[in-house]
Amino acid sequence: MEPIDDMELIDLAKSGNSRAMEDLFETYYMTVYRLAYKWCGIKEDAEDIAQEVFIKLVKKLNTFSQKSSFKTWLYRIVINTAKDFARQRATKWAYESAFIHQQRSTNPGHIEKDRLITIRLFADIHKLPEKQKEAILLVFGEGLSHKEAAQIIGCAETTVSWRIHQARKKLKKSHELEI
Amino acid sequence: MNKDEIKHRLESVEIPEPGQDAKERALKLTMAEFNRLPTGTDQKNIKGISMVGRLIGKLLKGGPAMRKPLYISAGLAMGFMALIIVIIPRAGRFGSNLPADMKVESLLRSYSPAKAPQSKLTNHSAPSPVAAMRAGKQSYKDIAAAPMIKGSKRDGFQDQTYVGRDRFENFKPNPVQLVSEAPVSTFSIDVDTASYAFVRKALNRGVLPPKHSVRIEELINYFDYAYPIPGDRNLPFKPTISVFPTPWNPDTKIIHIGIKGLEIVPEKRPKANLVFLIDVSGSMQNQDKLPLLKNAFRMLVETLGSEDTVSIVVYAGAAGTVLEPTKATEKGKILSALDALRAGGSTAGGEGIRRAYDLAVANYDPDGVNRVILATDGDFNVGIRNPEELKGYVERKRKTGIYLSVLGFGQGNYNDALMQKLAQNGNGNAAYIDTLNEARKVLVDEAVSTLFPIANDVKIQVEFNPAEVAEYRLIGYETRQLRREDFNNDRVDAGDVGSGHSVTALYEITLVDSKGKLIDELRYSDDETADKSGTAKRSGEYAFLKIRYKIPGTQASNLITEPIGTAVEYSSFSKVPSEARFGSAVAAFGQLLREDPFIKTFEYDDVIAIANESKGKDEFGYRAEFVNLVRLAKTARSM
Repeated sequence: MEPIDDMELIDLAKSGNSRAMEDLFETYYMTVYRLAYKWCGIKEDAEDIAQEVFIKLVKKLNTFSQKSSFKTWLYRIVINTAKDFARQRATKWAYESAFIHQQRSTNPGHIEKDRLITIRLFADIHKLPEKQKEAILLVFGEGLSHKEAAQIIGCAETTVSWRIHQARKKLKKSHELEI
Repeated sequence: MNKDEIKHRLESVEIPEPGQDAKERALKLTMAEFNRLPTGTDQKNIKGISMVGRLIGKLLKGGPAMRKPLYISAGLAMGFMALIIVIIPRAGRFGSNLPADMKVESLLRSYSPAKAPQSKLTNHSAPSPVAAMRAGKQSYKDIAAAPMIKGSKRDGFQDQTYVGRDRFENFKPNPVQLVSEAPVSTFSIDVDTASYAFVRKALNRGVLPPKHSVRIEELINYFDYAYPIPGDRNLPFKPTISVFPTPWNPDTKIIHIGIKGLEIVPEKRPKANLVFLIDVSGSMQNQDKLPLLKNAFRMLVETLGSEDTVSIVVYAGAAGTVLEPTKATEKGKILSALDALRAGGSTAGGEGIRRAYDLAVANYDPDGVNRVILATDGDFNVGIRNPEELKGYVERKRKTGIYLSVLGFGQGNYNDALMQKLAQNGNGNAAYIDTLNEARKVLVDEAVSTLFPIANDVKIQVEFNPAEVAEYRLIGYETRQLRREDFNNDRVDAGDVGSGHSVTALYEITLVDSKGKLIDELRYSDDETADKSGTAKRSGEYAFLKIRYKIPGTQASNLITEPIGTAVEYSSFSKVPSEARFGSAVAAFGQLLREDPFIKTFEYDDVIAIANESKGKDEFGYRAEFVNLVRLAKTARSM
């Protein structure tokens, strides 16, 4: 049994098959939501971003060409939507503290050191300039290559490498301060 | 903080599940937008009869996906319904109770139904849970076959619960049964221990494990119990039974059934033909996955005898044979092949599992143990995507004498439900490896028992005496229930007992004269009928135990029977042998974690007290670790 692949699903959706569109939604909803959550750290915002992403996706579906990979294309929509969202919604320090708050509230009273480090790391990532933050989240958070991340962000591969380098320097510094 | 650590932390951060309503809203809005736009409308017109012919042709072939949506009037569709349902075995994502015309309409609307959507994007680190769930749970189940599996829980993939990206099968605790209505309880034994390791991992992180990850029988069976082994060497095991007051309920009693398998002395053990099937996809690169896995297999290789052989197959981007069958005497060759494994590769697929089985077949030893050991974090992109198909494949291979063991690694992506199903269907065991210590326990200390079965298809049936027992419930084994008639049917598969394995089952019973009965007596029940039908009131006998098992390699089962009565009863809990007391403590712990309704005032501290007193020799410190876990559970918060 050969599985249906994304390209076929997308073709079907483009041709107006609503079942295919529903399957695209089901297939990618969690991916989109998780990236959105990592970006903003607030469940409700991540839900809103995910919703927005899929509406945009429907609108733009016809412009999607097989030349770019669907993954790259979708990630780009997520990142752009998340950025727009952050702009609308006060400043990013709000995210930083919201993330810590939400992480704590899911597990009040007891946070062991290991988890605390993760939470701090996220807080530090949220403090980074947006361009470094997106590079870090795509490369380290989603496991993409610098090249793939560059395609999503729309810059040169070396630029991504540079931003990662810069970001890591900052993270390292802040990590050392905490210890 | 180095690269890997950042990666690991970004991956392991806990992400709250999105609200179901938020997701539904998003889907509705998305589809509304989809239907509003011109792309979604231009082809939604009625097509002629000729399309039906093409449709059926395509469905039959299962070929390239239907490119165009179809709409066929209900009348026309009805005419074709029977035909379609018969010829498309995998058509249904819809329950069979939908009105027939709706079913057909939906079916016709769908694109090629034989295919599960595959996500390229998410394969990168994991198959999309949604897609996988759909494939497993609802989408592509057999319509035609549905009535046959109905009522047989063990065959179907049931609902699953997501915790992060980890997947667990949903189940409810076994209900209290009225002996007068259901006097017989039947289940398959379970020697898996995966649930315990998963619970431990969660508690060590300071969170309570998700309820559905707690399978009480696996917690109990994690521990080795020193039950007596049979004096008669022809018997693979013998049951050890005791009855005693329930520690958490003064009005009920516990029936404790323990089985300990004979230990095969290492020199006498059969040759092993092992194929490691190792997931090396990108998601395996965390410290607690591939690196741990390598160490675990290294330890296993060290324990092998000179006649044993090992092969290694990996899957990720492409499945590949890393090591052809190699004798364990060439240890260096095996170890260096293991060392060379790297996580990477993002796409799914390959022929991983087929290739592993092919190697096992190529090197098949009729007198030996032939086993594929699958190690993964839950990314089952092993070439067969549909879980039902995968299950069927493993089951067919089991019949050829090749068994499957499943070792789970890591968190965040762990597909517990599928692992369990696979191991059950492959006559294997599923274990979850969270630490090197656990790897040692599973692969070294218990290597003999997990690799060499001494009894296959072990089923337990207990018949309760209505004259003594009013109500009973089986603690745990929810996912292992068998039908009453399955007990004597040798074609029905069940769990295996390995050399030296111990298996424990507990029933909580309420006696006829107890005031703790949960179910009211019937006002109109006819007591006399029971007497007339000749039910002898055999006082002093609570129940009758029957165990069926097969000697490995044989097809006909053997039967062991034993009455359960006052002869094995202890009047107070403190007099009970420590093994049974410890088992009860673990059972109580599992029920507390699951918040089962049957435990009322019993608390974690009570569990600690019993466990502490019944630790026994505890050579490897597993029981002491248990006590620690209970302490952690006291302070942990729910996820």
